[in-house]
Amino acid sequence: MAVKYAVRNIRLCTKDCLCLYVCPTGATDTENSIIDVEKCIGCGDCADACPSGAISMVPVEYPPQQPKEGTVIDAMRVLLRSKSKQEMIAAGLPGKLAEAIAMSNRIMAEDIIREAGYMLPQSQNTQDFLQSLIGEEQAEGFPQAAVEKLLANLFADRGGKSVSDKTYENLMKAFTGEAEANRKYTAYAKKAEKEGKLNAAKLFRAAADAETIHALKHFEVAGKIGSTLENLKDGIAGETYEYQSMYPPFVAEAEAAGNKAAVMSFTFAMKAEEVHAKLYQDAIDNLDSTEEVFYYLCPLCGNIEKYVPDRCSICGALGSKFIKY
Amino acid sequence: MEKYICTVCGFVYDEAQGIPDAGIPPGTKWEDLPEDWVCPICGATKDEFEQEESAPAAPVVEKKAASDVASTENVRELTPLEISALCTNLARGCEKQYKPAEAESFMTLAAFFKSAAPSAQDPAFDQLLTRIEEDLTEGFPNANATAKEVGDRGALRALTWSEKVTRILKSLLTRYAKEGDAMLENTGVYVCTICGFVYVGDQLPEVCPVCKVPNWKFAEVEGR
Repeated sequence: MAVKYAVRNIRLCTKDCLCLYVCPTGATDTENSIIDVEKCIGCGDCADACPSGAISMVPVEYPPQQPKEGTVIDAMRVLLRSKSKQEMIAAGLPGKLAEAIAMSNRIMAEDIIREAGYMLPQSQNTQDFLQSLIGEEQAEGFPQAAVEKLLANLFADRGGKSVSDKTYENLMKAFTGEAEANRKYTAYAKKAEKEGKLNAAKLFRAAADAETIHALKHFEVAGKIGSTLENLKDGIAGETYEYQSMYPPFVAEAEAAGNKAAVMSFTFAMKAEEVHAKLYQDAIDNLDSTEEVFYYLCPLCGNIEKYVPDRCSICGALGSKFIKY
Repeated sequence: MEKYICTVCGFVYDEAQGIPDAGIPPGTKWEDLPEDWVCPICGATKDEFEQEESAPAAPVVEKKAASDVASTENVRELTPLEISALCTNLARGCEKQYKPAEAESFMTLAAFFKSAAPSAQDPAFDQLLTRIEEDLTEGFPNANATAKEVGDRGALRALTWSEKVTRILKSLLTRYAKEGDAMLENTGVYVCTICGFVYVGDQLPEVCPVCKVPNWKFAEVEGR
């Protein structure tokens, strides 16, 4: 899944336009110089190619904020209060110097409170702060809509508004663990079937399904399921990362280690993921089409085709073995 | 011959060298520099210089228990103007992450709380100097000692910057008390938008003397 997306600092951009040449989705080619987040799949090619260092890869999710000691927070708050009062005094005085002093005190106050627990807009502290504003009675003119928008935008990936940093992290850990268990039990069930241990096989199949139920629920509660368009984009990002960045070094290392089975396993997967990414893009382009499409899965390597081939283009398996979806 | 170091920006005044370009001949003793002489880089007054090698007298700070300090003014409860600063800080955070819509929402909130804040009653320049003196003798030493105790590098960074900026404000206000508006005539006033350093003059330093950001991050104060 895309963990980063590209942003361009227009001040640094020297218009060498290498980002346009390398972008696989055309996300960098926009009339206003702002990279199209909707199209960006987070591959990082533009940032690598840019000769001016004008493109940064920004994370979609930030790590939890560094914790702060209560003693530090209190000592910083004393200074915050003083700087804030000085801003107030200077704001009431005439002249350029007073204006500069008011600005200066505001900047110091910002920096001090930032280091007293409010570094990240996405932090738990910010979320709690915004929620407390909504919970309290406010004077007339309070921009309620702005606060609600912030809560929705900054914390949307946490299932709306209620999942905390730690819980989100735990949900995603549990999701990974359950998903892994599902694949493991499926492999064990196949093995048990081969050995003729049918009862054990059945138990493994049932347990694998149980883990799927758990995994899906964790994933949903964590707020990770978007619209189908969003999910297709996420699919492209995940597959693209795998075939472009993850598998190539795996293949090379397996070759160096002389592990032929691993080379084959990685290569098949790498080639299949590339096909998957293209199919997802194809599905996005035809999302509103009502014409029914069939997909055929190669049971050997995981390749997917839109028609039954004579032989699998990746692993050479017979077309008659393909499974229709 | 002695050397004196500016505690704000690190400029070294070397008595042996003087500053011939500024009409201070080599061999000019520190004591013989005029009282209103200021650091040629950052504008700090002579008070903000320390003699080199005279091991910087680490002020012995009697750290107050945080609870004592906190309870004196109930700092845990944010005032409207403090909430406004919190919101402009978060707006900056969103801007850095290239989230202009969120930055704008935080600015809207900041403006609301700023307008809800009371104005100062009978404000005066000397009130600023009084508070600065308190910050420098109590607020900063106490916060520095607390942050050092728990190894909070982020807090120490912010404290270092704002303490230096506070010293510059003290220098400027001290000068202003003596010179009045003449000090600001035909000259620019600039604020570093990163740390709050204020520069009065026409030779903007290349980088901010406090936080070292390039000077295009300075904002010129136009006057209201």
